[in-house]
Amino acid sequence: MSATHIPVHRRALLVPLGVAVVAGVACVWAVAEAPVAGRTLVAWCLGIAALLLCAAVTYGLYGRQQANLLRDRLAMREADLAQLADHTLPALVKRLRDGASVDTALAEVPRPADLAQQRILWTLAQEVGRGDRMRAAAMSACANAAGRVQALATSMLADLREMEDRHDEKVLGDLLRLDHSTAQAGRLADSIAVLTGARSGRRWTKPIVMESIMRGAVGRISAYQRVRVHSASTVAIAGHAAEGVMHALAELMDNATSFSPPSEEVHVYVEEVSTGIVITIEDCGLVMSPVALARARQAVSSEPLDLTTLSGTRLGLAVVGCLARKHGLTVSFRPSSRGGTAVVVMIPQKLVTQPAPAPQVEAPRPPSAPAVRRATAAPVPAQADPVAEGELPRRRRGQTLAAATSTTPVPEQAPARSRPSLSEAGARFSAFRQASRGTGAAPAGAAVPEAEQPQAEGPAAEGPKDDTR
Amino acid sequence: MISPRVASEDPDRLYTVTGGRSRADESAMDVVTLIVSECDPTPGMQSEHVRILQMCRRPMAVVEISSELRLPVSVVRILLCDLLDTGRITARHPPKAPARAQLPDPEILEQVLVGLQNL
Repeated sequence: MSATHIPVHRRALLVPLGVAVVAGVACVWAVAEAPVAGRTLVAWCLGIAALLLCAAVTYGLYGRQQANLLRDRLAMREADLAQLADHTLPALVKRLRDGASVDTALAEVPRPADLAQQRILWTLAQEVGRGDRMRAAAMSACANAAGRVQALATSMLADLREMEDRHDEKVLGDLLRLDHSTAQAGRLADSIAVLTGARSGRRWTKPIVMESIMRGAVGRISAYQRVRVHSASTVAIAGHAAEGVMHALAELMDNATSFSPPSEEVHVYVEEVSTGIVITIEDCGLVMSPVALARARQAVSSEPLDLTTLSGTRLGLAVVGCLARKHGLTVSFRPSSRGGTAVVVMIPQKLVTQPAPAPQVEAPRPPSAPAVRRATAAPVPAQADPVAEGELPRRRRGQTLAAATSTTPVPEQAPARSRPSLSEAGARFSAFRQASRGTGAAPAGAAVPEAEQPQAEGPAAEGPKDDTR
Repeated sequence: MISPRVASEDPDRLYTVTGGRSRADESAMDVVTLIVSECDPTPGMQSEHVRILQMCRRPMAVVEISSELRLPVSVVRILLCDLLDTGRITARHPPKAPARAQLPDPEILEQVLVGLQNL
């Protein structure tokens, strides 16, 4: 700055000096030319005129200099402001939104030279920071409350299920009604949890078969009796995603039942395809307007949820969008051939699995059943619950499931059962030991528990059977 | 944190199993009625119906079915009534009433009791 000023000042000095010299020379010349009588007067007048000229030129030059200077300064200030508005402030807000504290964010952006701009920056950072903290606090309060309601609803549902088992049908109707209300309240809490970014609902520890998924979804909406599920699918949904899928389907079914006449049914079709499972929810209600359709598509699209687009009353699709993004579901809308809207939900193959073998393992038989009980179909539950079923006989290696499941004594099976009990028990056991030692290559997890079972249960298992025959 | 009771639960609520009904239409079926299936399960049937039809290839009491399915007896009766209405199962009542009719008169029994106590 100062380096450029010096030549400017010199130039500013040079011009009046030149003017003064020229004017002086002109004056001298004019005085020399003038008649002697009026020379004094002419000299005075010309001198004054030359002085005035010099002053005017100097003043004019000075003014121009100032104007240039101010113009430069103004342009600089404008550039600074543009820099503040276009780069500094967005960077600051972005840092704050990313979770930086006010001081950190202020330290990370370039500080404007101007004091007023610095104050603007500081005030804005404070306000945005406070707004963000408020939002975060409100969100976590909501998430926390939703989580508590979820836990409460889950335990209430478990309690209700227990009561439904205990009480007879006089109370059952009322219990079922309470059950239904609790399930809906649980869904509401789940929705809030999903929107506030908390973990959704409960986790299932096993794959959930499609029928249970559909029932879980249907059971959470108010008009569940109007939903007709058409499904022959036998696959299951992986436990970690089951809750999300159920919740998303429940929201979509709730929309379908709410936006169709109460007399109409909502049809749900489940279809297995090579890329996963396609679930179509069709209603006979109003066809969605193009605007509503666009909004619905936007809500379930892959863009992250913008909380400002939430309307107070319609949370369903936003929830579906969150869940779809989380689990990789694809949700699309189209007009239904039944006259309303159809929603097509695609569950990707990576969430689809085979049902756990656990459902095939039934409860311990009531005392009225014969001592021969149906054996477990899979080794997993047999290991999982050895204490509770310890005193009961199990299916032995080599015995087919059909033979083990027979509950009535079939004549040709009777000798097969009674044979090893008395004389050959020891021989059988040693054969078993040999076999399990001989097949050392067999997986240890499968061989070890079974090797222990005959030791512990063999005599106890055989005893009652001998008594009964 | 989650109790085993909650962890072992299935997501299906009972009202979705029965379609919202809580009372069987037919009160003739009691807990010891024997149920026999008359046909094989067809695809698309409710899984409980499938299991009942598989279970009842041999006669089975209602209470046993209830225990196998881990469902309350009243719910099982609703499911059985559905199957009964469509003719997929038949119900056999155990001959219990005649047995009760042959029992001696309670007054006589009481007199015997009093007589025994007086001995």
